[in-house]
Amino acid sequence: MASQVYGSYIHNTTVHHGCQRHSRGANWYCNGRRNVTFLLFIMLLLLLLGHLGVCSGRPDALASSSSSTTLRTTSPPSGNQYYSDSNSRQFSWSVKGMDPTNEGDDRDVGGDSGVGDAYPSASSSSGRSPIPHDDSDGFEESSPRSSGPVFMPNTGDVQAAQADTEHNGNGDTKRYPVASVEFDRVKTPFIIGVWIFCASLAKIGFHMTPKLSRIFPESCLLIAVGVIIGVLLTQTGNMNVSPLTPDTFFLYMLPPIILDAGYFMPNRLFFDHLGTILLFAVIGTIFNTLTIGVSLWAVGQSGLFSCDTPLLEMFLFSALISAVDPVAVLAVFEEIHVNEILYIVVFGESLLNDAVTVVLYHMFEAYTEMGPTNILYTDLLAGFASFFVVALGGTIIGILWGFLTGLVTRYTHQVRVIEPIFIFVMAYLAYLNAEIFHMSGILAITFCGITMKNYVEANISHKSHTTVKYAMKMLSSSSETIIFMFLGVATINSRHDWNIWFVVLTIAFCSIYRTIGVILLTAIANRFRLHKLNKVEKFVMSYGGLRGAVAFALVLLIDKHHVKLQPMFVSTTIAVIYFTVFFQGITIKPLVKILNVKRAEKRKPTMNERIHERFMDHLMAGIEDILGRHGNYHVRDRFKRFDNKFIRPLLLRDHRGAEPKILETYSKLAMKDAMEYMRRNASTIGNISGTESMSAIFRNYTTGNINGNLSGTLNGSTSFSQLDSSTWNIDMQELEYNPSKKDLTDARIHHLLAEELCKPYRRHRRLSYSRHAVNDRDLSTQPVNYRMHMNIRRMVGERKHHHKRSKRLGKDGKQNHVSFPGITQNGSAKQFSHDYINEVLQESENDGDGTKSTSKEDWDSAITFTARTSPGGTPEASVLTQITSLPGSNPRKARLIKQYSKPTIDYDDAPTVAEVSLPWRRGVNGDETHTSGNNEATKKPSQEMDGSTGTNAAATESARVTTPTATETMLPWKRDDEGESTCPLKQSEFPAWCSNKEYLAYSSPSATFLGGIEQPKIASVIGLFRRESSGSVQDSRASSESSLHHTSGPESPPAPGAVLLIEEGGPEPLAGMLGIPRRPPVGRRGSMLELGSTTVNSIPEEEATTPLTSPQNSPLSSLSDQRWMALGKGSGSLSRLAGRLSALVSSSSSSSSSDDSSNEDDEETDEKCAINRTQN
Amino acid sequence: MGNRSSLLLREEEIAQIQEETGFTPNQIERLYSRFTSLDRGDCGTLSREDFLRIPELAINPLGDRIVHAFFEEGCSDRVNFLQFMQVLAHFRPIKKGRDNKLNSREQKLKFAFKMYDLDNDDKISKDELLAILHMMVGANISEEQLTSIAERTILEADQNGDQMISFEEFCNALERTDVEQKMSIRFLN
Repeated sequence: MASQVYGSYIHNTTVHHGCQRHSRGANWYCNGRRNVTFLLFIMLLLLLLGHLGVCSGRPDALASSSSSTTLRTTSPPSGNQYYSDSNSRQFSWSVKGMDPTNEGDDRDVGGDSGVGDAYPSASSSSGRSPIPHDDSDGFEESSPRSSGPVFMPNTGDVQAAQADTEHNGNGDTKRYPVASVEFDRVKTPFIIGVWIFCASLAKIGFHMTPKLSRIFPESCLLIAVGVIIGVLLTQTGNMNVSPLTPDTFFLYMLPPIILDAGYFMPNRLFFDHLGTILLFAVIGTIFNTLTIGVSLWAVGQSGLFSCDTPLLEMFLFSALISAVDPVAVLAVFEEIHVNEILYIVVFGESLLNDAVTVVLYHMFEAYTEMGPTNILYTDLLAGFASFFVVALGGTIIGILWGFLTGLVTRYTHQVRVIEPIFIFVMAYLAYLNAEIFHMSGILAITFCGITMKNYVEANISHKSHTTVKYAMKMLSSSSETIIFMFLGVATINSRHDWNIWFVVLTIAFCSIYRTIGVILLTAIANRFRLHKLNKVEKFVMSYGGLRGAVAFALVLLIDKHHVKLQPMFVSTTIAVIYFTVFFQGITIKPLVKILNVKRAEKRKPTMNERIHERFMDHLMAGIEDILGRHGNYHVRDRFKRFDNKFIRPLLLRDHRGAEPKILETYSKLAMKDAMEYMRRNASTIGNISGTESMSAIFRNYTTGNINGNLSGTLNGSTSFSQLDSSTWNIDMQELEYNPSKKDLTDARIHHLLAEELCKPYRRHRRLSYSRHAVNDRDLSTQPVNYRMHMNIRRMVGERKHHHKRSKRLGKDGKQNHVSFPGITQNGSAKQFSHDYINEVLQESENDGDGTKSTSKEDWDSAITFTARTSPGGTPEASVLTQITSLPGSNPRKARLIKQYSKPTIDYDDAPTVAEVSLPWRRGVNGDETHTSGNNEATKKPSQEMDGSTGTNAAATESARVTTPTATETMLPWKRDDEGESTCPLKQSEFPAWCSNKEYLAYSSPSATFLGGIEQPKIASVIGLFRRESSGSVQDSRASSESSLHHTSGPESPPAPGAVLLIEEGGPEPLAGMLGIPRRPPVGRRGSMLELGSTTVNSIPEEEATTPLTSPQNSPLSSLSDQRWMALGKGSGSLSRLAGRLSALVSSSSSSSSSDDSSNEDDEETDEKCAINRTQN
Repeated sequence: MGNRSSLLLREEEIAQIQEETGFTPNQIERLYSRFTSLDRGDCGTLSREDFLRIPELAINPLGDRIVHAFFEEGCSDRVNFLQFMQVLAHFRPIKKGRDNKLNSREQKLKFAFKMYDLDNDDKISKDELLAILHMMVGANISEEQLTSIAERTILEADQNGDQMISFEEFCNALERTDVEQKMSIRFLN
């Protein structure tokens, strides 16, 4: 485009730059060499972390080793001697006060793990440090000033030195410090933060080095990084830093991972295979524990380990080492994408075996402490019974909390923002609650997640859902990251007790017995399974038995005093973890490939699949019933019924029927369709100016007005001030470049988007900030506008059969033109709308050249559709056929197309328009306010215009047959109601409504559109959509029917109609049209740009601009002009616009023939029209 | 019951059924006992009422259709044991290397398809789909939504643009579904 409106140009360039920058950035990161630098950067950070670790570690070590007073040496980082001296005294004082707690902390730490830990001790130190500080304040005021006098002279001496002001006052009065450093206070959280930061950075790093991440699972890399950090820490002198304590692991790191696993567990799959899973989780784990324990013990008897290996300790160890670890399994299996059955079996086992592990572990731990001789049979029985208590208790607690969560979220619709917190907190509470009773927290949180998911998701808003999803993923992945990293760090310590034979044999036994167990158990399971686990799957199952952090945390928990072999166990556990995670984790991927394991395909179910599968479920349940068997389907069916009958109504706010999944799938797919459609037709979207609906509404009576006024109007010299104050501009413009169709489609698409996509974006700009409430509109997902989506989808689908349709159209076109046969028929109406959209698509193609660059920008603020893909090779057939169907329109084909293209160009110059003056916005903000004022005023003129146009239209449009129904459908208010595709057609159909007597009885279209106060719902576009979306079925249905009527009638002649009219209007009208239309763009632009900024005023202004064309010649028009004038004066902002318009007109230099409707640059066209007007 | 059923079922009948359906004699006898227990009238055939007397089936949203599926072959209003077994044979799990006559994937799909296709024109129309949706989804969802769901579904599967789902289209739509497993039941031996 040679000349664009400045604003859009700027917009364009900025976007362009942005893109460049972006791509450059992408290059930067994609560049292999850059990756290296990034890795180096990470390593640097890790080094830093190491040093922080030193900082954190040292005081801990000191604190735990020596008396607590040594703490002070590190405490004042600001390092002034005097300060530290005086502080030290205070510290020693205060720390003494704190002593009990300190020791308690330290003792705890020691008790937790022999390795020593940063977190508890760090937290204890952080808990300490602020307190001494406070104490010191109190101390200064109240306590003896013994230190004061000593240093008083000092302060006197240094008084002049301003540098020391900070500490000057310490003796007497404390001066307020300008700046100070106080690291201790924030040390613990800071270090935690740095840990997370570094771990996450490391994660980024891996994914930037595709080679690494392709070969190694992430867990391996993280462990490796952890080891590096561990080495660094060791090098720098603290040997005992091990942040991974059992408590931090079990209380803080594990829950997010398990919650994530449970919450996103594919329920159906899980319960389908529950039997197999339980078999493996319970029997398999016990089997492994016993066999490994016995084997190790037997080998130990032979003296190979050269240490005493009591049976119970071996069992204790084998209990913790035999459990497959959910974290490790997740980490590896998520990357290899095995088929879902395999995945769920292995993963389910790793989750559910927690109960077994916990029980076995505690059992053997207790036995060990009791000593083998003191164990009674009752203890064994108690252990056995406690398994059920632990497992079932955990499960029940989890389920209860899950239901509770569902119940709570039922009432959160007023406070959407806190929805996610309920999910997290209540799940966590379930976990802790289970832990309180020494039940399986993992089971609890797993089942809590599984349970709550069903109900919570129906209750919480879509946004909360997204939030939950991401937060959960984020938490789990970061804690997974940290776990593996800490695992690496923990590897490096001096207390290893490597017993090579023990390690090797443990690994061997683990692998062997895992394999044997899998083979045995699958043999059992296959007897009851429909889907038999085959050899390959057996292999993957046994190979996927990874051990991980749970085992490590458990082994750290072993009391060293009771179990002398604990260091050896720790080392061996680490070795086993390394073996499974590294060796198996790395090799499983290629193995899965080699063995050709069925891979999982990640995809959303299609509508058909969803429905038919559900259908099959019912069918199978029925067949099972007929067979008299109570199988899976039967149980599920029964549960579903119970669920639907009792639970859901209780827990769900909006219980919507028996098959929420089908609905859910539908709305998801519908959304996807919409987005897909948008993406494919980005150009169309890009051109959405936001005023389409407005223009659409106005167009009708514009055209009418033009018809009526054109003959008389054309004296361009009509005072612009008058024009400005009148509402006519828009109409004229539309008449000229026939934006109607495109605009209307855009409007429709836009609304569709607005419903699904746009609204959130728009709403975010809020003037008021509220911390507690997010605008509810932001959060609540509106139900899908089914009809809308159907239309689009249908249209998209139909495009395949484009040829057929267009042919048909060619035939039907004339018919429709005259008789509107499709009025009642659904199908034809649909097709019409499709055709219409298709046409628009083609239009967009046509003008695509012009709009390509700019199409994007208009939307940048609202939605960024970056790619503009051409709608796909659609021939111009449909447009052409339609054109040909019109009498004598053939020669004007070219022009028609040109005119199509024009609107887009015009839009280009108003980038901000879309943002500001979007109809719904306008509707929301400004509708009622200004309509109230203007209603009266607008009504009268419009009515008058109608009258005039009606007569004129009759004269000019002899060819057009307007049936009463058609005219009815044309009525603007009706049209408004539909909000659907049909509008464009009617509009182009012309002055049909003009001749409609009924019309006069109604208030002016503008009034209706603006949503008069009387009936805002129907009138305003917003109300329209809201109503539809809110699901009042009947209304929408009625409206849809009416829309169908509309569409069917004017179908074929739609777009050309306007053009035709223009051209047939005779020289004068034509000139007027061509000339006038130029104006409107200006007016429009003005209205969009400037009015848009003040949304409230936007509508009146547009009204004001529209009258540009109002003719002085015709008495009617003059009359209307005056009225408009009055109106215009009413609204202050109009004058501004008027000024702009007049300026534009006066500045117009080029004189061009009015006939030339070719797509020229906006400004030129504008000028032209201005000139035309003046000339006329 | 088992005694009586085995008494009533002659060897050659079993052989014939086995031939036709692939069930093992054990399964046949077992199913026959079920059959006779359903057969309240002791007339050797089942009526629709006999089926619907099963409480779970009566409340199965698709219960009517399922029962109807048993009656499609003969068009009579009673089902004899052979027909009963032929229908059930569709749900036998597929075993590799064996002759899967009635329980092939295609047969399973065909069975499901027929359940949709009420008017036997080998196409699922929108109305037929809608009827099923009605049964499954229930009354709480608006007609319009259901309609649009049905339309969406048809559009998704429809390849030749006739606004119906033919059997091929049906199969294609379920291409990635594990029909073999989903439509199989483990018959006890």
